[in-house]
Amino acid sequence: MVMTLNEATRRAAARQELCAQVKILLVDRLSLDVDPGSIGDDQPLFGRGLELDSIDTLELAMAVEDTFGVTVTDDDTHSLLSLNRLVDHIERARA
Amino acid sequence: MTAAPSSPSARVVLNADDIARMLPHRHPFFLLDRVTALEPGKSAEAIKNVTASDGVLAGHFPGRMLYPGVLLVECVAQLAAVIYGSAAAQASTGDLVADVADRVGYLAEIRQAKFLKPVVPGDQVVFRAHSGPRLAGLISVSGQASVGRELVMTARLAVTELDQP
Repeated sequence: MVMTLNEATRRAAARQELCAQVKILLVDRLSLDVDPGSIGDDQPLFGRGLELDSIDTLELAMAVEDTFGVTVTDDDTHSLLSLNRLVDHIERARA
Repeated sequence: MTAAPSSPSARVVLNADDIARMLPHRHPFFLLDRVTALEPGKSAEAIKNVTASDGVLAGHFPGRMLYPGVLLVECVAQLAAVIYGSAAAQASTGDLVADVADRVGYLAEIRQAKFLKPVVPGDQVVFRAHSGPRLAGLISVSGQASVGRELVMTARLAVTELDQP
């Protein structure tokens, strides 16, 4: 099925809005000293990206569940590797 | 006929000797006196009687004895170990208590600890801990401590899962 331009534009805007919400959530819940707007959509969250550590994994998963009602289990921890993957996970779970 | 317990908190689910079988901690770091409610793997309630003869109060502080807030947090961590230890004991033996102390998890994070009132000798502190979500080998635990009707401490912890046998 071909998506109309309007539909594609609407989805892109919704995605951007969700990305922005998740960035604010990350900064708030993990007390990060960065501007949410400076976090790139493909930036790795752990290691040299946002420098989260393994203990932040649990807090991040709880924050996502509290805010979006979407659970992250041991089977989908790969969804926490970057912001885009996390947003993909939230979108899939909500679809 | 014996007298009825003076308060519901007197109920004994695990006594101090039972708790000692679940935890590797010993004096002066064995902190809980009694477990008064227990749902293995999920939640528990315990009491601790704070007494002037506790050695830690000799130094915290001379002339102004206050039970250290960090030890209130540690009490919640030890109660978390009882919650998960009892689940492991039940799974392996069917009993609430077993010798699982060598498999206890570690404290990984203390988040949002608040100390709302000082705790002093003579206080009976009631601790409550609830298990939250678990992920990647970590379990979230929310805990609180109260004296009488007053909340004295709240905290959220992350602990590591028990070592598998």
